[in-house]
Amino acid sequence: MSHGPSASGGALPLKGAPHDHHDVPHEPVFTGARRHDIDAILLKYPTKMAALLPALWIVQEARGWVSEGGMAEVAALLDLSPAYVKGVVSFYTMYHQHPVGKYFVQVCTTTPCNVCGAEDVVNTFLEQTRCLELGATSPDGRFTVIEVECLGACGFATPVMINSEFLESVTPDSVPDILAELA
Amino acid sequence: MGYPHASHPRESAVLSKHFGDPAARTLDGWKARGGYQALEKALAMSPADIVTIVKDSGLRGRGGAGFPTGLKWSFMKPGDGRPHYLCCNADESEPGTFKDREIMRWTPHALVEGCALGAYAIGAETAYIYIRGEFTEPLAYMNAAVKEAYDAGILGANAMGTGKRVDVHVHKGAGAYICGEETALMNSLEGRRGNPRITPPFPAVSGLFGKPTTINNVETLVAAVEIVKLGAAWYKQWGRADNPKSTGTKLYSVCGNIARPGNYEVPMGFPFKDFLWDLCGGPLPGRTIKAVIPGGSSVPIMTAEEAEGALMDYEGFVAAGTMLGSGGVIVFDDAQNMVKQIARLARFYAHESCAQCTQCREGTAWTTKILERIRDGQGTATDLDTLLDIGESMTGKTICVLSDSCAVPVVSGIAKFRNEFEALLPKSRNVVSVSQAVA
Amino acid sequence: MTAPAATAAAVKMITLTIEGRPVSVPEGTSLLEAAKVAGVLVPHYCYHPGLPIAGVCRMCLVEVEKASKLAPACATPVVEGNVVHVHSPLAREARQGVLEMLLINHPLDCPICDQSGECELQDYTFQEGRADSRYQEPKRFNPVEDFGGDVLYVPNRCILCTRCVRFMEDVAEEPVLCVSERGDRATISKFAGADLTHAWAGNVVDLCPVGALLSKDFLNKARAWELDRAASVCPNCTQGCNAVLETRDNAVVRVKPRSNDAVNQFYLCDQGRLDYHWLNRPDRADQPMVRANGALSAVPWEAALAAAAGLLAGRTAHVVASPMLSNEALHLLRQLVTKTGGRGRFTVAIGPEAPLAGVQDLALRAERAANVRGAELMGFVKGADVLAGLGAGDVLVIADHDVAGLDLAALRKAAHLIVIATTLASALAHADVVLPIANMAEEEGSFTNLRGRVQRYFQAKAAPGLARPSWFVLADLASAVCGSGPTWAPAEVFRALATTTPHFAGMTWEGLGLRGALPVGGGVSA
Repeated sequence: MSHGPSASGGALPLKGAPHDHHDVPHEPVFTGARRHDIDAILLKYPTKMAALLPALWIVQEARGWVSEGGMAEVAALLDLSPAYVKGVVSFYTMYHQHPVGKYFVQVCTTTPCNVCGAEDVVNTFLEQTRCLELGATSPDGRFTVIEVECLGACGFATPVMINSEFLESVTPDSVPDILAELA
Repeated sequence: MGYPHASHPRESAVLSKHFGDPAARTLDGWKARGGYQALEKALAMSPADIVTIVKDSGLRGRGGAGFPTGLKWSFMKPGDGRPHYLCCNADESEPGTFKDREIMRWTPHALVEGCALGAYAIGAETAYIYIRGEFTEPLAYMNAAVKEAYDAGILGANAMGTGKRVDVHVHKGAGAYICGEETALMNSLEGRRGNPRITPPFPAVSGLFGKPTTINNVETLVAAVEIVKLGAAWYKQWGRADNPKSTGTKLYSVCGNIARPGNYEVPMGFPFKDFLWDLCGGPLPGRTIKAVIPGGSSVPIMTAEEAEGALMDYEGFVAAGTMLGSGGVIVFDDAQNMVKQIARLARFYAHESCAQCTQCREGTAWTTKILERIRDGQGTATDLDTLLDIGESMTGKTICVLSDSCAVPVVSGIAKFRNEFEALLPKSRNVVSVSQAVA
Repeated sequence: MTAPAATAAAVKMITLTIEGRPVSVPEGTSLLEAAKVAGVLVPHYCYHPGLPIAGVCRMCLVEVEKASKLAPACATPVVEGNVVHVHSPLAREARQGVLEMLLINHPLDCPICDQSGECELQDYTFQEGRADSRYQEPKRFNPVEDFGGDVLYVPNRCILCTRCVRFMEDVAEEPVLCVSERGDRATISKFAGADLTHAWAGNVVDLCPVGALLSKDFLNKARAWELDRAASVCPNCTQGCNAVLETRDNAVVRVKPRSNDAVNQFYLCDQGRLDYHWLNRPDRADQPMVRANGALSAVPWEAALAAAAGLLAGRTAHVVASPMLSNEALHLLRQLVTKTGGRGRFTVAIGPEAPLAGVQDLALRAERAANVRGAELMGFVKGADVLAGLGAGDVLVIADHDVAGLDLAALRKAAHLIVIATTLASALAHADVVLPIANMAEEEGSFTNLRGRVQRYFQAKAAPGLARPSWFVLADLASAVCGSGPTWAPAEVFRALATTTPHFAGMTWEGLGLRGALPVGGGVSA
């Protein structure tokens, strides 16, 4: 079943990106403060491998997504093979394997939210952000909208995550105000 | 306090007492509310004595399986010379469940305390709290609470001045329902794909990093704090007199088509009918309740009639043909098409299958495709039989129960709402009348 | 190589019943392996005895009496008194369910699939699968991918058993493969730029139970059922991996490993797999020849052998023998050396050593010839200068040895040149006698590997023209030179070898069987 825009449920590859999303050139991720962060994280675990998810989070925070170059950096850092890291990255839906818009909008549409009208919420976001389809980035590069599986806030249907902001009880009517605040 | 609704007089707020009270979030606020007394008490006891209290309390795992917590802790052998680990399962991903989120948002120190206490009880020096990555707010509160606890000397090499080492670390997930399965959680924590492991060996023998490990749900650990503080007998005051197997209070998350969604804490054995109508306010105006999933999406669907007759504890829900599960109550009203919603649930499981076992990887996706085809009016006469057959293939045959969990709503949904499925299927040939055929 | 500490007495035996057959196996054995002992095959895909247990295909579910659920036979250890049913209705239904699921997205492209005929998905479906499919939806599609090395990946056929991933991770210890994505979107994947170029990567093709991983070398060459197969030993290095030569129309088209726990477990390196084309060389020496009136001309075997014997009479033989020749051929050449008071020499090509990390004492060895040890045992001296000591009056005997790089002037120093060879190199065109022999795919023989294990190989195809097996030619020549009488079979040569050479003492041709034998008292360590 093809569910969500990409196999792991993340964003689609950009088609004719309006701005440069290339992975190079870039500074290495694990330098300076980020090197300090990962060193502190490594102390929490008896194995280097256990720092893989945290290290990938650092890459994503630094770059906005986890490119193959980022995976290779993490692999070198933790003495893992790049293929192993790729297998892990692609397992978890929150790591973006492609660049995404400035605002990454995740709308929960799993059953508990679905029965409360979540599909209308996601459709409203798609229309008003001018994202043509789920997982695609809007022409201005600002938005990527996806459906996400249960966000664990079912009593506050419909929860929506915009980047790391967690919004509760979003309705189609509240979408314009939410988008206006992002302007 | 209640959250987000006002507390109901029939609730027994123990774990949710401070929900909605931002002052309870800080270390000072938590201490002012009796916080860390249980940990202090526990660190002065022997681990075995703590385990005995928890055993006596009758506390059972609140994550879904309902395994007796004290018994689970007793599998660990403190002092065997190997590192032990405690994992707190805060991956709360079961559709319909959002209780642990509120515990972490309002009383993060309760969980820090629970982790430290639990770790000590099982002879572990390190506890990891595995929080799903989408829980950005709970993650922030938990990180802050852990930092406060370290700064105050509650955690660390000399926990509360006892000379005992207790470390608690927060680990952020990255989007995978299956990491709520305990062996998958351990794999994920180790930096692997969140694939469930074959058991045996069980975690108490070879768990995280190959060492003896116990995995407890958030709610279980914070309940243990109250039990250690106030005693097993105190905890056992809640529950049905005729059912000693379910004790204490339970947090339920209520969502879907219900007047007052939110978290409610009631004693074991509470009548489900009163819960749905009195506490949660019943259906939305002008609607009637059609179906209820009482314990997260992985337990069998109940009709409204079945729900009204059920008692809310492990045995009560089993007697009603379903399970307590995680306590995530999903309510469907008469405006919902059950085929569409069951298809949506199947889609969830297909999306979340880890891809290891054949029946799960292929079966969840196939089930979804058939259900969505029926939903879209493209069903065929044999589809329901095929679905039930696939459901059989997906039940009891895989490493973990994700595959079973996908089959559960499908099989129970077809059993209880067959008319809704059949309404979408083409009428079988033998009921087409001659006049219709000629016309 | 030291034998594992034999503590047989300490191993607790567990007795159970499988399909009504009582069987006793050591504690810790899986139900699946116990069933093998009982002569019952439990269908399976992800399980492989050389790999860590995955337990993911769920094909090996069996019914164990008194157990609440079906048990995966690969991951379930035996318990005293188990009563196991492999073919009970419950177990069969479970496997039928798995097969149906495996097939819903699997293309029906068996007619163009290389695996067809040796495909476990075909076999088990034929054995116990449903006759029809209930799947009505579109099938999943992913394009074919070049995994580098000799391997193509056809994801549509993949059943995600992860044998390939586990082999690269746990046996090759170079994890270049992974499972990517999850759910039914999952595929086997690799990282851009990191290909399946490990020296042993080709094993993933054999390990793949279906047609998802294919050899580019073998692609579309033959159908499995058209192949003839002969047990052989890989001639490419001194490891002596047990192999199967697969032929079609008298040509070797594929080389596969043959399992032997003592040598190569289940594996064969890519060099061994792919370096077989020389066995099919068309430019073969295929008739006995003798120089007459300044030119080589074809003669009957008897005439050529008589001419060679005549040249050797009263002269010293300087024998340069290929370390690819069999123990038998080398033994007979040794007789010529001894009889004429001559010398035996050889050299061996060297390449980089490539170990298979997860298997003890298994590597593509630096010495790239099968019988270096055998040549040494027969008294042939290894050295770069194979012509050292060649006297002007000597008869130079080149026995299929590579002559590339030899000093041509030094070659011509000898009084006479006898070439016993599969091909006639231009540098040896001045030969006085040419005796054409079969190559190792065309004859029977034995090699001695670097640990001293003596292993037989069998004939896989016919020799060209009038070429004869090397033992046959050399036995006739030795008989003519030494007067030792006719020899009718390689077993006779081997018997003589066993009585004259301590290393082979006590070994018999039949006793070598398909696994070979170490000398009495064990082999030699590296």
